[in-house]
Amino acid sequence: MDFKTFVFYMFATIMILASLRVITARNPVHAALFLVLAFFTAGGIWMLLEAEFLAITLVMVYVGAVMVLFLFVVMMLDINLDRIREGFWSYLPLGAAIGLLMVAEMVIVLGGSYFGLDSMPEPPAAAAGYSNTRELGRLLYTEYVYPFELASLVLLVAMVAAVALTLRHRKGTKSVNPSQQIAVKRNDRVRMVSMPTEKE
Amino acid sequence: MLENYFPVLIFILVGLAFGCVPIVLGRLAGPHRPDAEKLSPYECGFEPFEDARIKFDVRYYLIAILFILFDLEIAFLFPWATILKEIAATEGLRLFGFFEMMVFLGILLIGYIWVWKKGALEWE
Amino acid sequence: MNFVVPNFAPAYAELFVAAMGVVILLVAVFLKQSARPFAYLASLATLLGAAFITWYTMDGQVSYTFGNMYIDDLMGDVLKLMVYFAMAVTLLYSRGYLTDRKMDRPEYFVLATFATLGMMVMISANHLLTVYVGLEMLSLSLYALVAFDRDSARSTEAAMKYFVLGALASGLLLYGMSMVYGATGSLELSGIAQAIYHQAGNRTVLLFGLVFLMAGIAFKLGVVPFHMWVPDVYHGAPTAVTLLISTAPKLAAFAMTMRLLVNGLFELADQWQAMLMFLAIGSIVLGNIAAVAQSNIKRMLAYSGISHMGFMLLGLLSGVVDGDSRLALNAYGSAMFYAVVYVLMSLAAFGMVILLSRAGFEAENIDDFKGLNKRSPWFAAMMMFVMFSMAGVPFFVGFFAKLAVLQAAVAAGYVWLAVLAVMMSLIGAFYYLRVVKVMYFDDPLDASPISASADLKLVLSANGLAIAVFGLMPSQLIESCVAALAGSF
Repeated sequence: MDFKTFVFYMFATIMILASLRVITARNPVHAALFLVLAFFTAGGIWMLLEAEFLAITLVMVYVGAVMVLFLFVVMMLDINLDRIREGFWSYLPLGAAIGLLMVAEMVIVLGGSYFGLDSMPEPPAAAAGYSNTRELGRLLYTEYVYPFELASLVLLVAMVAAVALTLRHRKGTKSVNPSQQIAVKRNDRVRMVSMPTEKE
Repeated sequence: MLENYFPVLIFILVGLAFGCVPIVLGRLAGPHRPDAEKLSPYECGFEPFEDARIKFDVRYYLIAILFILFDLEIAFLFPWATILKEIAATEGLRLFGFFEMMVFLGILLIGYIWVWKKGALEWE
Repeated sequence: MNFVVPNFAPAYAELFVAAMGVVILLVAVFLKQSARPFAYLASLATLLGAAFITWYTMDGQVSYTFGNMYIDDLMGDVLKLMVYFAMAVTLLYSRGYLTDRKMDRPEYFVLATFATLGMMVMISANHLLTVYVGLEMLSLSLYALVAFDRDSARSTEAAMKYFVLGALASGLLLYGMSMVYGATGSLELSGIAQAIYHQAGNRTVLLFGLVFLMAGIAFKLGVVPFHMWVPDVYHGAPTAVTLLISTAPKLAAFAMTMRLLVNGLFELADQWQAMLMFLAIGSIVLGNIAAVAQSNIKRMLAYSGISHMGFMLLGLLSGVVDGDSRLALNAYGSAMFYAVVYVLMSLAAFGMVILLSRAGFEAENIDDFKGLNKRSPWFAAMMMFVMFSMAGVPFFVGFFAKLAVLQAAVAAGYVWLAVLAVMMSLIGAFYYLRVVKVMYFDDPLDASPISASADLKLVLSANGLAIAVFGLMPSQLIESCVAALAGSF
C-alpha cells in the first residue's frame, strides 16, 4: 500500500465513522459537528482525486456557510428532542431493513466487479501544469453555459422564496432612520404659534 | 500535483494533535472525580432559569441564507478567472466569456437590488 | 478551444420568460400601489408572449442547441403551449382567491413565472443536467408557493412535507443519473442511448441507475408507491397553489419521463416497462379505492389524480412493442393526450373549488357542493361535466382519453391490464358520481348565490364546455398528439 492509498483509507474510515455518528449522536449539536467532519474528509478524498477546486468549494460552501447555518439552528432553536425521537423504535425495523437492502445492493453493484480496474482502466496521469480548476472552467463556461446561466436563476428563485416566506415588517418598532434624522428641519419639530396675549 | 498538498496534510495532522493531545493529557494526568453538582450548568451562582434554547427571530436565518447564496455565487468566479483569458483569445468568442459571467452576476445583482429595496437587509 | 457561440434562436421562448421573470421582480418592487396588478398582468403577458414565440418558431424540425443540451421538437413545442395555457388559466382562476387572502403579492407571480421556466427547461431537456436544473427550478418555486400563506400552519406543514420528500426524490434522481453516467460515460440523452446500443457500460450498473431514476420520476408524477405527499400537499396548500401543482407540472413530468425513458434509456425498455406496470397498477388501484373514503374534495381529487397518472403510465408502457413503430407512437400519443386531458379536467375541477370559496371560507368539503344546482344550475352543470369526464362517462373527453390508453394497452397485448383498469375506473365512477348526486339531490348548506368575478366565471364556463365539446372530436386531438410525437420518437 502506497502512501496515497493509506491517506485514502484514513479519510474514508474517518468519514464513515463520522457519518454514522451524525445519525446516532443524541445531541444534535454533536451530530452537526460530525457532519462538518464528514464534509472535511470528503473534501480530503476529492483532493486525492486531484479535484482541488471541488474540494475547496465543499469546505468553503458547506463547512463555511451551510453548516454554520445548521449549527445556528440546532444550537439556538428550542426543538423538543424527545418529540423528534418519538416513534423511532417502531419505524426502526422497516427502516433498517430497507437501509440494509440498499447497502447490500450498493455493495454488489459498486463493488470491484463493475467499477474495478479491469472494467474501468485508470485514467492516464495528468500532464505537468494540469489544473483541474482550469479544466472545470473550460467546460463550465463553454459547453455548459446553458445550465450555468440557469443556475443563477435557480439561486434567484431561492432568494425570492426565502424572502417571500420569512420577511415581515414589524409595526411599532422604535428604530429610527439616520438619514431622516439628519435631514430634519426646524419646521418639522417646532411649530410657532401666535397666540393673543392673555389678559387677566 | 498531490505532492504539493503534502504540507497541508502535515499541517492538518499537527493541528489535530495540537487539539487532541492536551485534552487527552489532561484527562490522564489530572484528577477526575465528577459529581452531579460539578457537572450541572453554572450560571453565576444561580440555578439556571430556563433552557438556553429559545425561539429566534427568523430574520437571522434569512441573513444566513442570503449569505450562502452569495457565497455560492462567488464560488463560480474562481474557475471563470482561470479560463477567461483563454476564452477571450479564441476567435469568435472574444467577449463571450466576459458577458456570460456578467449575465450570471447581473441576475444575482438584480436579486440583491430586490432584496435591498424589499428591506430584507434592514434591522428594524 | 473549439467552441462556437451557441445558437440562441430555438430557446427564444425560454430567454423571454427568464427575462420577464427578472423584470417583473425588479419593477414590482419599485411600484408602490400598482405592484400587485402589475405583477399579475405582466405574468399573463409573459405567458402570452412566450406562446407567440413558441407558435411562430414551431416548424416541426428537430433542432439542438447549447451543445445538444437543449432540444427543440414538435412534442416540446406542443407541450410548452399547453403549459402556457394551463398556467394562464391557473392565474386567471387564482386572482380573486389570492386577493381575498392577501396572497397576491408580486412574489407569487414571479415564482409562478419561474416555475413556468422550469417546466419549459424540463420539456426541452436533452441532457441529464438540464433535466435536473429545470426540475429544481420548478420544485423550488412550488415549495415556496405551497408555503405562501405564511400564517396557515397547515400550508406550512404541507410545504415541509413536500420539501423534505421532494429533496429526497431529487437526491434519488441525481444518484440514478450518476450511475447512468458511470455506466455510459455520457450525460446527453442521445449519447446515453448510443452507448447502451453499442453495449458499452455494464447492464447491472445501468439497471441500478434506472431504478433510482424511476423512483425520482415516480415521485414527481406522484404515483404509488411514491404518492404519499400528494394528498397532504393538495389538501394543505392554498387551493390556488393546488390548482397550479395539479396541472401544468404534470405535463412537464410527462415530458421528462418521455425524454429520460424513451429518448435516453429505450434499450432498457423491457426493464422500465415492468417497473411502469407496477407503478401504474398500484396507482390505479390505490388512487381509486382511497378516493372513495375522502370527504374533502381536494383530497379526493388528489387520489383521483394519482389514479389518472396511473392511466397515463398505462399508455406509456404500452409503447414498448416489438418493432411496430406505429403502435408505439399511438401508445405514446395516447399517454400525451391523457396528460393534456387530465390537465384540462383538473383545471376545471379545482377552478370550481375556487369558485365556491370566498374570503374566509374554503369550499373544500364535498358537503360544500350540496345543492349547487339550486344555487347555480349553470355551474352545477359544469361541475357535472368535469366529474363525468373524470369518471370516463362516454362522450366526454375524459372517456376518449381513457379509451385511447386502453386501446393502446390492448394493442400491446396487455388485455388483463386493460380489464383491471376498467374495473378500477368503475369504482372510481362511484366517488365522482357522489359529487354529482350531492349537487343535484341534496339541499344546500348555504343558499347564498355564488359571488365571483366575471373573468373567473367566463373562463371556467369555457373550460367546462371545452371538456364537453372536445368529446365530439377526440380523434383529431389524438391524431395531433401522435403527429407531435412522430418527429421525435
